[in-house]
Amino acid sequence: MTPKHTALKAALLGSALAMSSAAYAQEIKIGFNGDLSASPSAQSGQAGVLGIQAAIEDINAAGGVLGRKLTLVVRDDLSQPPKSIQNMSDLIDNEKVVAVLGPTNSGNALAWKHIPNQKKNPSIGCIGSATDITKPASANAENYMYRVSMVDRAQVAGLIAYTKNNPAIKNVGFLVETTGYGQGGLKDLQELAEAKGLKPVATEKFGVNDTDMTSQLNKMKSAGADAVLVWAQGTPIAQLVRSMEKINYFPVTLTSWAADNASFFDTAGKTLAEKPIFMRTITEDRTPKQQQLFDRLAPKMASKSAFSFAAHCYDALMITAAAIKQAGSTEGPKMREALDNLQAPVEGIMKTYNKPFSASEHEALTAADYRWTHWKDGKLVTYTDDVVKALKPTDFTQ
Amino acid sequence: MDVYLQTLLSGLAIGGVYALIALGFSITFTTTKTLNFAQGEFIAFGAFIGVTMLLLFSGLASTTTAVPSEAASAWRYPAAVIAAGAVAGLMGVLIFLLAVRPFAGKGGMNWVMSTLGFGVMLQSIGLAVWGPAPVMVPSPLGDDVLRIAGAGVRPQELLVLACAILIMVALDLVMRRSRIGKAMMAVAHSPQIASLMGINVGLIMIGAFALSSGLAGVAGVLIAPIASASLFMGIGFALKAFSAAIIGGLNNPRGCIYGGFILGVLESAVGLWQAQWREIVVFGLIILVLAFRPAGLFGQAAVDKV
Repeated sequence: MTPKHTALKAALLGSALAMSSAAYAQEIKIGFNGDLSASPSAQSGQAGVLGIQAAIEDINAAGGVLGRKLTLVVRDDLSQPPKSIQNMSDLIDNEKVVAVLGPTNSGNALAWKHIPNQKKNPSIGCIGSATDITKPASANAENYMYRVSMVDRAQVAGLIAYTKNNPAIKNVGFLVETTGYGQGGLKDLQELAEAKGLKPVATEKFGVNDTDMTSQLNKMKSAGADAVLVWAQGTPIAQLVRSMEKINYFPVTLTSWAADNASFFDTAGKTLAEKPIFMRTITEDRTPKQQQLFDRLAPKMASKSAFSFAAHCYDALMITAAAIKQAGSTEGPKMREALDNLQAPVEGIMKTYNKPFSASEHEALTAADYRWTHWKDGKLVTYTDDVVKALKPTDFTQ
Repeated sequence: MDVYLQTLLSGLAIGGVYALIALGFSITFTTTKTLNFAQGEFIAFGAFIGVTMLLLFSGLASTTTAVPSEAASAWRYPAAVIAAGAVAGLMGVLIFLLAVRPFAGKGGMNWVMSTLGFGVMLQSIGLAVWGPAPVMVPSPLGDDVLRIAGAGVRPQELLVLACAILIMVALDLVMRRSRIGKAMMAVAHSPQIASLMGINVGLIMIGAFALSSGLAGVAGVLIAPIASASLFMGIGFALKAFSAAIIGGLNNPRGCIYGGFILGVLESAVGLWQAQWREIVVFGLIILVLAFRPAGLFGQAAVDKV
């Protein structure tokens, strides 16, 4: 090969590289940080990523945002807070993502919520439901934490409203697991119950890995509780209803939305799984738009009951894209301003979002968007009775 | 009255699980003076081997989170238990050769780290093969609650209880009556002297690890219909079982069994009073036992003669 040829080749290669990196720079990167492999909730994270990918495909097919394509950078945090914190810095500082979606576990969001605020990089949660995730650091601090998912406190408000408005319920008891999730729920339960003038006759706790809760239930029974409000993860709720069967004690059972897990259904068994009533964002009576996305993702989705997270995350990405479009920029502070005051409605899977956020409200979905749900013949369907029908939005005030 | 009977029954049921695993701790401790800190992962691994076997034997497909109940009928469940025990036993030989033998008998605590590390590896392999979701395993005896004088219990809980007692009695007979058992006790007493007496110390130690790990695997398949199989299920049980072994006396297999039942009933009884105080009561008891009877409630204090 002559030197001339080599030089030509190098020049060609160089220009090809320059072109590809130019195209690369034009892409807008969105990050996902959450558990995809390490804990039972990893299925929710996997569904979330599928939803984001679907939304990115749709946006890119329509020409992208600001004439640029979107790409997704995924980081698995293995459900560990230290790894999750490290991922945030990696995504924002090294990958230069313009916003981060996720995480799977509420605890991890609580561990790094200062990072999006310090780096002025919006974070849109679409899975974890802990109440405090979207709370600003101080009253007037700039808040970069947003959410398109369920919120624990809003669910608790719903459960309390149901209890309060059901004339058949005389005495209520609280049953929670001893994890951070259970304790957070108990705090919300106690505060909202007190605000509504509801006094529990007993409060009992159980471990997340317990397989027998008959002792706690016997105490509930002797305290005369005819309804129990349960805050726990899916498997322990299943063990709880199994223990109810052992002592043949079936009070009205209102639970956290974790009862929608497939693991709850499988552990409880078909008949017992029908006992709890809970709130959820999607039931299997899907809207046409939800059905469309469900059919599109179903072949790739390991757990069908995790579909709600795919829908939340799809919408979170759509809202992010709308904010970039309105801001005309991917700079964090401008995106935050746009998010707090979105002008155009955003067509989502859950609903059409009209001004989903404001400076003080960072929750896109509220109690009015939730549905009463229970298991029926192995399906998550809408639950209704006279109490549910009579509930008014004002009953859900927090 | 119902309430107390229920507490006792529920406690014995969970105590049987603790006892079975505690026995595994005791077997390796008495022969090699080491413990397999990966016991928890062996339980989870065993449970999933059981799941795989049930599906293989029955030719049925699993949904991602449950094994169909027909898969556990007739001979399949016992066969899955034995298979899980055998596979876990083989893994036990591996852990001994790779993670314990290089360090056993030498000063220091290297084997603590190496067995813990082996457990982490086992869990990672499990996650790669079976994924993170818990899988519900059907009980071969069905799922209907049995009523005993007003108290409810599930057939699988009685099965675990029966198996724990059966295995305990069988092991007790082997240890005290057979040549192998006597050889194991000799190795526990002093590997050097046992070796001089013509006992193959290496083989006995391998056997102890295989047996202890096999028991963990069996326990995994037995617990799976109660707690559902999950790669994270073992840690909690192993910690409680280790506590039971400490309470009963690590160097006394019978004591470990009693320790398991005591712990189970104690937990259940504390739940009747204040469930959130359970762990405090359990670990408070351990500190008391360690302070006043360091060898455990049923252990014999070892006297080191110089």
